[in-house]
Parts: sequence; structure tokens; C-alpha cells
Amino acid sequence: MKALVIVGHGSHLNEDSSLPVYEHAERIRETGGYDEVVECFWKEEPSMRHVLETVESDEVYVVPAFISEGYFTQQVIPREFGLEGPVTKKGSKTVHYAGPLGTFEKMADVILERIEDLMRDKDVSEGRTALVLLGHGTAMNKNSSGVIYLNAERIRARGGYDLVVEAFLDQDPEVGEVVGSVEAENVILIPVFIAEGWHTRETIPEDLGLTGEVTRRGDRTIFYGAPVGTHPSMAGLIAARARELEGQVVGSAS
Amino acid sequence: MSEAPPETSGNLAVESRAAFAAWVREAPGGRRFAQVLIRRQAPDGYVLCHVDDAGADDLKVYEDPRAARELSKLTEKGEYRPLKSSPNLRRGWQLRVPDDGGLATAMNYLYPAAVVHWHLYREDRLEITHYRQNAARQSGIYKRVQRLSDKGVQNAARACCEDAVCLKKTLWDVDEQLPLEMSRGEGEIPCPEPCSIFVSFARQVRLFEREEKRDLDEIGLSRSEKEDLTTLVRAAATGEMGFTREAEFEEPLNERRLRYRNLTLVPKIAPEAGEG
Repeated sequence: MKALVIVGHGSHLNEDSSLPVYEHAERIRETGGYDEVVECFWKEEPSMRHVLETVESDEVYVVPAFISEGYFTQQVIPREFGLEGPVTKKGSKTVHYAGPLGTFEKMADVILERIEDLMRDKDVSEGRTALVLLGHGTAMNKNSSGVIYLNAERIRARGGYDLVVEAFLDQDPEVGEVVGSVEAENVILIPVFIAEGWHTRETIPEDLGLTGEVTRRGDRTIFYGAPVGTHPSMAGLIAARARELEGQVVGSAS
Repeated sequence: MSEAPPETSGNLAVESRAAFAAWVREAPGGRRFAQVLIRRQAPDGYVLCHVDDAGADDLKVYEDPRAARELSKLTEKGEYRPLKSSPNLRRGWQLRVPDDGGLATAMNYLYPAAVVHWHLYREDRLEITHYRQNAARQSGIYKRVQRLSDKGVQNAARACCEDAVCLKKTLWDVDEQLPLEMSRGEGEIPCPEPCSIFVSFARQVRLFEREEKRDLDEIGLSRSEKEDLTTLVRAAATGEMGFTREAEFEEPLNERRLRYRNLTLVPKIAPEAGEG
């Protein structure tokens, strides 16, 4: 039997954080491919520490619902599961471990789908259109921003926007400055976050003075999208990430 | 050093599911498991409801085992439940599941991993991870829990884990040599390791301990103790008393934080009052 285990950050304070993990798990259950699809979390139950005890299957694919390579995907998740590499033998179980979602090639497609959903039926002013990919970022870890640059580059290569720029909450270039100074009449702002939460619902709209999906300010219109991670097609990305792991054996490189 | 999580055998999930179903089936009146009552329903199914709703006939009926996730998400008042073993499961529902598999799915949402731990505990196979072992593997903002004193762990466990706030039976200790001095709970769900809520609470208690070392005023109160007292008095005086969110430990009116103050602050200002 085969199990897919989706790992979310989760939250002690609000239900928004784990919701996309549950929703994507449900979508994958419906499309099939796995005998079991199980959710687990860092801050909610079941914990990564104990989830495998509840899994019946011997072939286990662990996919972190995390955007960036970094502290969680490299340190916390392997430690909590007791993983030794891309493939770990644990009793009768073989546990395959995937990297984060943001570096996966198909991530750019999900971002573009999110934009398509946002811009459907919207009036776009004449002039230039800039896409701003917004990451959390942290001065503590370079990898955190890397995934934003990576996807901006992929989308730039595909064309379609006059400008594709990166912006962050906790490092430079800071989102307020980017949105304020980017030379475009239309600014599409997409949070490359896994879930709705304090930042996407409160701090970002407040700091930027956004009034909803569409904010007109002088000759500039800002279109603010929902986080990429809540898009239904993230389920496909998670499943694809897991499929990629099939056939890996103990000792193989990631 | 970090310790590996418990090894699992391939059929542990199947084994525990079968053992749990058999345990429920052999009790004519059903079984109580934390706040859930589980009764057999012919031919192969089960009916679950809140223990206090055993005799109710106006319950909303659900038939998808995964509905248990929504049922266990919010309290009666609509507040988020980050800890499923808190004694605040909402009432008013009945969940009918068709078979043992459905029962296992529902139970894993109501009380995640509880059935497998219940089974391992009954078989005397449950591996325990004590506080110091758990703390040793923490990193980032939680690394500081390694410095929490033994007394701090004791008080944190009493404030955070007793049946008034968590229905699990606490099986872990400070370390192998130092048992917790607390009421470990009467419930069916064993707790083999400090959970993430506890680690987060321990971090807050460690912050209190640091204050104790350097920031006390002339009568021996810390800044946060005075903040808590002030907030408490104000809230009571204005009639706006109410706990903050369950795991919002940095807020003065958090229930577990107040339980901790009851253990540590009350004896400080009223030694004759004892523990209330």
C-alpha cells in the first residue's frame, strides 16, 4: 500500500493555516493514486513525530506543504520524522521525502493560474503591467528568498508581463517600496505563501493601504491575489512532487 | 542530540484500529473515550457523539467519517481548538460511521494518533519521550526551552496538562530520574511526549524564569506578573473578563498562563493562601 503524507506548518492560533493542507489532501484522495492520504503538522495534531504510527502503508511519500527550502524542510521536518535522507527505512516502512513545493518546476504554473483567477473579469488600465511576487523572506536564511527569485525568473522567461519583480516582508526589497515605485500602471501582487493568515489578511493590506482585490490609487491599479498555496491546483503540484519520488531507493541522491 | 521518533511496524495502524473496534464492540453501552461516546450500530457501524449528548435526540447527524475534522475544529463558542484533547469538544452532533475503518478515520480527526497510543499503552509498548529528551531536539525560537528549570517544567506541566485543560494522561516526566508531581489525568488517551502546545508554553515559562533572575521590583514581583495582575483586575472591574485564545500564552488572560500564576504568583503574594 502507498500513503501520501502532507506536512503543514499549522498554527496554535488560527484555523486558516492548516486548511489548504486538508483541502489539497481531500482533492488528492478524490483523484486517487494513494491508498491513504494523511495530514500532519508542526504546530497541530497529528504531529510529524507520531503520524507514521497511524499510517497503514509501507510505502510512504512525505511532501512538505512549504514554499521554500530552509529551516523547516531541511532541519525540522527530517528531524521530527527521523529521516536520514531522501529515502529512509523505518521498520517495515520506506519513507520517501520530497523537497519544498516552491522550487518544483510546476510552481510557476500554479502562480500563473492564481493570476488568471485574480484577473478574470477585471478592468486593466492601459499601460504597463507589472507582476510582483511577494515572499516572506528573512534576513536569517538566504534560501527563503531564493524560491521567489527562481519563480520570478521562470515567469520572466515565459513573457507576458512588462515587468516581473520580487518583493518581501522581512527583507529588501521591501514590498511597500516595490509596489510604490514599480513603473507600471497595473500592479499584480501575488503572495507566494502557503496559506491565508495574519500577513495576507492583515499586515499586507494594511501596510499597502489595499481595499480588496482591486485598489485604485492615482494612475495606478493594484490587484491583490490570494496566496498561491490555497489554489486548488496546488494539490496537483503536491501529487506530482510525490510521484517524482517513486522508484527512489535507500541511499539514492535527492 | 536528537532522538528518533518511535519505530512503527507496518501493521500497527491496522492492529490498533482492530483492537479499538473490538474494545468498543464488547461494551454493550458503548465506550467513552475522552469526550466522545462510541456505540456500536448494527451491522458493522458505530455511532459517535459527545458524552454529554448520550441521551439527546435532536443531534445533527453526519455520515462522513471525515466530518469529524470540522466537528473537532471549533469550540461551542466558535473558537479554534489547537489541542484536540482539551475538554472543549462541542456538542450537538452525531456521527455515524459504517465500519472499523470509518471509526479509525473519525477518531484520528477527533483525537489524532490517540487510538494507536491507547493500543500501545494497553500492550505496554508505548515509547515515552521525557521532557529533557524532547527539549534537547528543539531549535530556533524553541531552543530556549532547554534551559527551563526542573521546577519550571513541573509548574508548566501542572498548568498546561492537568485534566482541567487537557484530557490526556501525562506519561512523560522531567527526565527518567525526575517524575512529574501532578495529577496525571484519568483519561483514556496516553500522552507519551510533550506536545507542541506544551513546548510553546514551556518557552513562555522560561521567559518568566529569566525575569525572576533580574527584573524583580522591591516586593519581588516581575514585570509580567504585574502586567497580568493589572490586566486581570481591569478586566474584572470592567466586566470584560474572558480568556484569550487557548495557546496565546503571551497574553495575560490566557487560561494556562493564569493557572501557572496561581501556582507561582499567588504563593508569592499570599503564602498563607496555599494553592487554590
